[in-house]
Amino acid sequence: MSDERTAVTTDEDEALAVTDQEPRQSDPRVGDGPGISVAGPAQGSRDGAQQETVVFEASGVNVHYGTNLALKGVDIPIYRREITALIGPSGCGKSTFLRCLNRTNDLIPGAAVSGDLTFHGEDMYAPDIDAVDLRRRVGMVFQKPNPFPKSIRENLAFGMKVNGLKANDDAIERVLRRAALWDEVKDKLGDDAYALSGGQQQRLCIARAIAVEPEVILMDEPCSALDPISTLAIEDLMRELREQYTIVIVTHNMQQAARVSDRTAFFTVEQPGDGSRYGILAEHDHTEKMFRAPEDQRTQDYITGRFG
Amino acid sequence: MATTAAPQSSAEARPLARKKFQPAEVAFEWALRLSIALALGALVWLFVSVLTEGASSLSWDFLTSKASSSAARAGFKNALYGSLVLMMITVAVAVPLGFAAATYLEKFAPMSKDELRVIAMRRQRALEHRRGHGLSGIRLLLARIGVAASRVWATIGPPINRIVEVNISNLAAVPSIIYGLLGLALFVSIMGVSKSLLAGGLTLAILVLPIIIIASREAIRAVPSSIEQGAMALGATKWQAVRSQVLPAALPGMLTGTILATSRAIGETAPLIVVGGAAYSTKVPSLNPLQAGDQPLLAMPLQIFDWVERPQETLWGPLAAAGILVLIGTLVVMNLIAIVLRNRFSRSW
Ligand SMILES: Nc1ncnc2c1ncn2[C@@H]1O[C@H](COP(=O)(O)OP(=O)(O)OP(=O)(O)O)[C@@H](O)[C@H]1O
Ligand SMILES: [Mg+2]
Repeated sequence: MSDERTAVTTDEDEALAVTDQEPRQSDPRVGDGPGISVAGPAQGSRDGAQQETVVFEASGVNVHYGTNLALKGVDIPIYRREITALIGPSGCGKSTFLRCLNRTNDLIPGAAVSGDLTFHGEDMYAPDIDAVDLRRRVGMVFQKPNPFPKSIRENLAFGMKVNGLKANDDAIERVLRRAALWDEVKDKLGDDAYALSGGQQQRLCIARAIAVEPEVILMDEPCSALDPISTLAIEDLMRELREQYTIVIVTHNMQQAARVSDRTAFFTVEQPGDGSRYGILAEHDHTEKMFRAPEDQRTQDYITGRFG
Repeated sequence: MATTAAPQSSAEARPLARKKFQPAEVAFEWALRLSIALALGALVWLFVSVLTEGASSLSWDFLTSKASSSAARAGFKNALYGSLVLMMITVAVAVPLGFAAATYLEKFAPMSKDELRVIAMRRQRALEHRRGHGLSGIRLLLARIGVAASRVWATIGPPINRIVEVNISNLAAVPSIIYGLLGLALFVSIMGVSKSLLAGGLTLAILVLPIIIIASREAIRAVPSSIEQGAMALGATKWQAVRSQVLPAALPGMLTGTILATSRAIGETAPLIVVGGAAYSTKVPSLNPLQAGDQPLLAMPLQIFDWVERPQETLWGPLAAAGILVLIGTLVVMNLIAIVLRNRFSRSW
């Protein structure tokens, strides 16, 4: 499988289309290693052999906050219409990497991204790239719910309007249903979004992100404030969205990563001993492989709950 | 349970500690109370003495009678109208300028040279694109000027912004009489505005501008950056995010600051005297601010000052005191509005 990735990274063509030679395992299996069952993606409606297109290609991506190195040398392709899960201990740079993918790091004073990061083969950080257009295509749900201090309806309508979409009642009902929020808020669409519970606010933010119909949705721990029922609803939504969208999700929940993602990337913290500490990407592969037989010892330890 | 014999070994069984008398703490608390009492006492004494002197003169007649050289007939109407027009002009000029300046300084000025260069490059590309679609003549020229300007700004903008930044807070500390001199020089001498309510209102506007800017910047800063980032992650431009999300959220705070700044301007006397405030005029100013250019510069503090200065203290003293009560009443109402606004609309993020 690692050959396959090399094939992709060396492919410099515009299309960056690579055929997945290896048919996907189709049945859920209980891993003989860490013991987390990997069920989700394989149950999807995918056929084994399909075109795999790279959406994002990161090579040697570093992120600094001021003079602090936060993330070092990340190389990873992210494939179209797949769910890629980013896992790893707190502070290892998952959110930081996620923010690189739609250039929201640009909005943080002092944050600087270096290295190569392409979106459909184009250098995302080229000086003349319009980050606003990129963000229209790459939506994001933040780690902490951040609804606008306005009504529920206005929260959804704002993004739709700036993207030239119609924010009529039908559209609003549709996205609220998709985000499993409709039944709870249908009678109070005019109420202030801050009157909602934390979990409801987060689902509103998810609704807001999908309402603008991006190509890619980045989700930073979207379920950390949700109860198990809403979590399952969001996971169902992700599986449904995967038919059309590319999704990158940060999660601390191993079961969730195993349930929903096609691929998993494990980030960890490196402390070289000179007082510095920064995040690196330790390993990434098909989720099923990552949970069954990770190659990196650190991945193995993290997934099984042994920290070294 | 045995309560008397507490076994040493178990922490749970240790009896609760009793209160101890702590002299330093008590003394400190009383020192604080005393200083508050002193400060409030001075105010109360002032208010009571004004009230006892002015209460008898304070009546509906007092508010609606014109100024007069006879103390028995003199009223506060001219001054009241003058102050009202002054406030209208001050707010109309200082609020748009102040809000715009605060938004710029807080949200756009921090852009670095690199960011500005990217914007200039984007404009350049847009220009090339539009030229390919037949842009020509005067529009092409204007677009060229726009691109050139944003290039130049990418170099000189950041240092200019830094200078402005440093000086805004200095301006707020400048004594108000200096603003009077500035108003006299700028509006009366250079721009040729007559010594009228208009000149006074404009002077008060530049006086409160720095205060409005500083208060508004704080209100804008209090809106968490996650709101702006959330808007931009949906594909909004910086301006769209600021206009539609950040500014509405900051507005109550900005208005509170504005009201407090305006209530400072209402009591200002010195700058108005410098600009040519009329000590006395029987003409009642028109309430239409568009006519302020040829209305005598009258205001509540000016009228009070005039009355206090007159020799027959027993005649004019009660009038001055009544005027002070009206002025204080106005300030209290404005501050109450500010407090209500803040409590009603403030949110914890
Ligand atoms: N805005 C910021 N300014 C400065 N440093 C930051 C900022 N955001 C993150 N960092 C630093 O970058 C490193 C990675 O942070 P990041 O938020 O990406 O971690 P994370 O993997 O998402 O953690 P968590 O799982 O707790 O969300 C941390 O050391 C953090 O202190
Ligand atoms: Mg994070």
